[in-house]
Amino acid sequence: MSSQTQTASTPPASPSIGWGNRVRGAGRGLARVGGLLLAVLAIMALFAVLSDGRFLVVGNLLGMLRYMSTVAILGFGLCIVLVVGEIDLSFANLYGLSGILVAVAWIVWGWPVYLAILLAFGVAVLVGCFNAFFTAVVKIPSFIATLGSSTLLFGFTLLISRSQSFNPTYPPPGTAVDPGQLAFFQGLSNRALPFGLPMQVLWMAAAALVFGFLLARSLFGFRLKAIGGNQRAAELARLPVTRYKFLAFVLMALAACLAALLDFAFIGSIQPTAGQQLLFPSFAAVIIGGASLAGGRGTITGTLSGALLLAVIANGLALLAAGSFVQQMFLGTVTIAAVVLDQVTQRLK
Amino acid sequence: MTAASDPATSADQPVGLLPADRCGVEVRDLSKRYGDTVALDRLSVSARPGEVLGVAGPNGAGKTTMIKILADEVAADSGEVLIDGEPWTPSIRARGIAVVHQEPQLFPNLTVAENLLVGRERRRVLIHGPNGDERALMEDLGIARFADHRLGSVPLAVQQRTEIARALADEPRILLFDEPNSALTEEESDDLFRRIHRLAESGHVVILVSHRLSELVAHTDRVAIVVDGRCTTVLDGAHLTEDRIARELVVGARGEGRSGASPAETDGGVLVALEGWAHGRGRFGGVELDVREREVVAVVGVEGSGARELVRSVAGFEGATGRLTVAGETGRAAARRTAYVSADRQMSLFPNLTVAENIVARLDREIASRAGVLRRGRAVALGQDARDRFGIKTGTVTAPIGSLSGGNQQKVAIAAAIVQRPAALVLEEPTRGVDVGSKAEIYGLLRRYADDGNAVLMFCTEDAEVFEAADRVHVVSRGSVSPAIRVGDHADVESLAGELARLEEHGARRPQPPIDGSAP
Repeated sequence: MSSQTQTASTPPASPSIGWGNRVRGAGRGLARVGGLLLAVLAIMALFAVLSDGRFLVVGNLLGMLRYMSTVAILGFGLCIVLVVGEIDLSFANLYGLSGILVAVAWIVWGWPVYLAILLAFGVAVLVGCFNAFFTAVVKIPSFIATLGSSTLLFGFTLLISRSQSFNPTYPPPGTAVDPGQLAFFQGLSNRALPFGLPMQVLWMAAAALVFGFLLARSLFGFRLKAIGGNQRAAELARLPVTRYKFLAFVLMALAACLAALLDFAFIGSIQPTAGQQLLFPSFAAVIIGGASLAGGRGTITGTLSGALLLAVIANGLALLAAGSFVQQMFLGTVTIAAVVLDQVTQRLK
Repeated sequence: MTAASDPATSADQPVGLLPADRCGVEVRDLSKRYGDTVALDRLSVSARPGEVLGVAGPNGAGKTTMIKILADEVAADSGEVLIDGEPWTPSIRARGIAVVHQEPQLFPNLTVAENLLVGRERRRVLIHGPNGDERALMEDLGIARFADHRLGSVPLAVQQRTEIARALADEPRILLFDEPNSALTEEESDDLFRRIHRLAESGHVVILVSHRLSELVAHTDRVAIVVDGRCTTVLDGAHLTEDRIARELVVGARGEGRSGASPAETDGGVLVALEGWAHGRGRFGGVELDVREREVVAVVGVEGSGARELVRSVAGFEGATGRLTVAGETGRAAARRTAYVSADRQMSLFPNLTVAENIVARLDREIASRAGVLRRGRAVALGQDARDRFGIKTGTVTAPIGSLSGGNQQKVAIAAAIVQRPAALVLEEPTRGVDVGSKAEIYGLLRRYADDGNAVLMFCTEDAEVFEAADRVHVVSRGSVSPAIRVGDHADVESLAGELARLEEHGARRPQPPIDGSAP
C-alpha cells in the first residue's frame, strides 16, 4: 500500500500545489484507511472459509453492522476528545447512566418518554461540562478527572436505579408504560428498514457525517487539531482552547448518550452496568483508526474502519463458537498489532 | 571512497581536509538525504587535538545533520569518520564523540548528580552517590553545590555545565558544542568559552557550532563554512574575521544592511501606549512607553531585568496593571489587537500540521465560511501567498512543518502572526537560533510589516539585532525602563552597544521606581 502512495507521489516538483499534491495528500489518508479495510477484507475472507460461508450470509453481515454502530458512535466522540489532546474514561459509565435515566424518568417517575430523553441528553451535556471544567479550567489531567467522574457517575447510576434493571415492555409492578410511547422509543432503533438494514446503522452513518464534517471540514476541527498538537502554542495564538475543550467533552458525552439510547431501544432493557464492557473496544477502534493518545491526530473514517475491524473479528469468532475468552485475547492482540503496524509505516516514511 | 581514489584536480579536493596529518578527527564525504532534500553533500572537515574548530553555516546548510550523525542520532547514507586515522562508528563508545546540545538534553526531574550518573551506574543499587572522579568533575565545573538540586530548578547555565560534565564523564576524545550558549547570559558564556579553551588545551578535539560570528572569531582557531551540505572553505589566521565569515555565509545571497527607517519617516500616530504600566508580580513598574505607526521598537535587558516580561505583558500573556492602549482600544481588547510570537519555536508552531496550516492557524473568517465550514483551498492559497511574501523556503506548503529548517520555521511562526493583521506585532527574540541570512530576511519582513502602518515591539538580546532592525530602543534594568534611544543617532553598532551598556549600568544603580507609576 505504501508503494502505491509512492508511485502516486512522483509528479515533477512543481513550485505550486498542483493536483499531484492534492492526490498525494488524499492518497496518504486513503492509504491509511485503505490498508485497514484491506485487513478487514482479508479477515472476512478467512472467516468466510472457516465458517463454510455462514459468515457471508446477509443477515449476519447486517447484524455485524448493527453491532459495530455502538462502538463506532462512542468512538466518534472519543476521537474528538483524543484529537484535542485529552482522554475520557467516563463515557462508558455515562452510557449506563443515560439509559438508566431514561428508564427511571419514564417508567418510575412516569414522565413522557420524550422528556426523559431530553433529560438524558441534558445530563450528558452537564457531565461533558463537568469533565471539561476540571480538565480545562482547574487543569487536572483529564485521565484523573474522568477516572473520578466515571466512578462518580456509576455510583449515581446505582443510586437512582437502586441497582435494578429496567425493561419498558415489562414495567415493574405498580408502574405502567404508555404503548404509544413504547412504540416510539423502540422505533428509534428497533425498526425494520428496506433490505433489513438495521436502523442503528443509519444513526451511525448520520453521526459519522456530523462528526466527520466537524473534524475534517470545519474550522472547529482544524483548531482542535492545532490545540491537540501544541496546546501552549494554541494559547499564545489566542485560539479558544478552553471553549473548544468544553465542546469536545460535550460532544463525547452526547455521543455516549446517543449510543446508550439506541442500544436500549434495540435491546429493550437497560442495566446499571451497561456500557462498561464498551470502554476498551471504543478506545481500540479509535486507536486502530490512527488516532494518537498524544493528541492532534485522529479521523472519523479511521474510527469507522477500526470499529468495523473489531466487529468482524467479534462476529467471526462468535460464529466459529470460539468463546468470549478467545475473543478478548483477539481484541487485545489486534489493538497492539494495529498500533505497531502504524508506527512502523510512520517510521518508514 | 578512499583517499587514493581521488587524485583529481585541486578543485575536487575537499577543502575541509587537512593535509597528511592524520591526528584528530576527520569527517570524509559524509552524505545524507531526507527524501528529496540533500542535507549533506559529501561534507568533509577535520579537526586537530588542541584546537577549537568552529563550524558556521546558514540554517538548513547541514550543520545539525552533521551533529546528529556524529552523535549517533541518525545514520549517514555514505562517508566515514576517522579518529586518528582509524575508522570510527558511533557504537565505539570509548574515545568517542560527546555532544553538548543547544538545549540541555537531560532529565529535569532528577538531581544534578543523578543526571551525571544516569546511564553510567556501576551498581544496580543506587545508594552510592557520585564517586571521586565525578565529584571532582562537578567541583571543577562549579556545579558541586547544586549536586542535590533538582535539575529543573537550577539556572540554565548550571544545566549546561551538567551536560558538559555528563559529556566529559565518558572521557570522550571529541567534544562537539552545538550553540551551547544560545540561552546563556554574556557572563555565563564567557565562562563557558574559558572551559572550552581549557578542554582544547588538554588535548581534546573541540568543535563549536555557532551562529554568532563574534564568538567564532574570538574563540576558535579555524572556522569551517558549511553551505548546502558541503564545506565550502575553512578560514583561519588573518582570514578569520567576522566580515569574512559573514561574506562566505551569504555567498549568492543578498545582504540587506540596516533596514531601519530614518527618524523623519516615523512620525505616525501612537499605536501602542503604556501608561503607569506595572507587572503583577513586581518584575517592572512605572513604565511609560509608546510605539508609533511604522515603527519598530526594541526592548533590551538582561534576563531577570523584566524586559522579557514587559514585552510579554503587552500581548496580555503576563499579568500587569496600568493603562495599555493599542490602536485606540484599552484593556483586554487592546491585547487582542496584538499578535505575539514566542522566542521558543516549540511554543509557536504546531508539529502535527503542515506549513500552510501553521501559517493560517490563527485565522478564522479568512479560511472558513460564516457557518464554520473550512475552505481548504483558501487555506492552501493563503499559505502559498505567505510563503512567497515571506520568502519561506519549502517545496510545497503542504509539507509537514518539521521538514523546514529552523530559520524557515521561524519565518512561518512570524508569518502566522502577521497574516492575522494585528495592529501591533509583539515578538520575543525574533531571530533566536537563526542563521545570518534568515536574520536579515526576518528583519526585512518586520520592517515591511511596520511600513504598512503597523507597530512592532520586540524583546532583543543582541545589540546587533537592535541596530539592524529597530528604530528606537528602551533599556530595562531592574524593572525600570529607560527613555527611548534613537537607533539612527548611532553610526555603528559599537556606539549603540556602548550607550545601551551605559544605560543598563545607570539603571542598575537607580533605586527601584515606585510601582504606582508616579515616576517621570
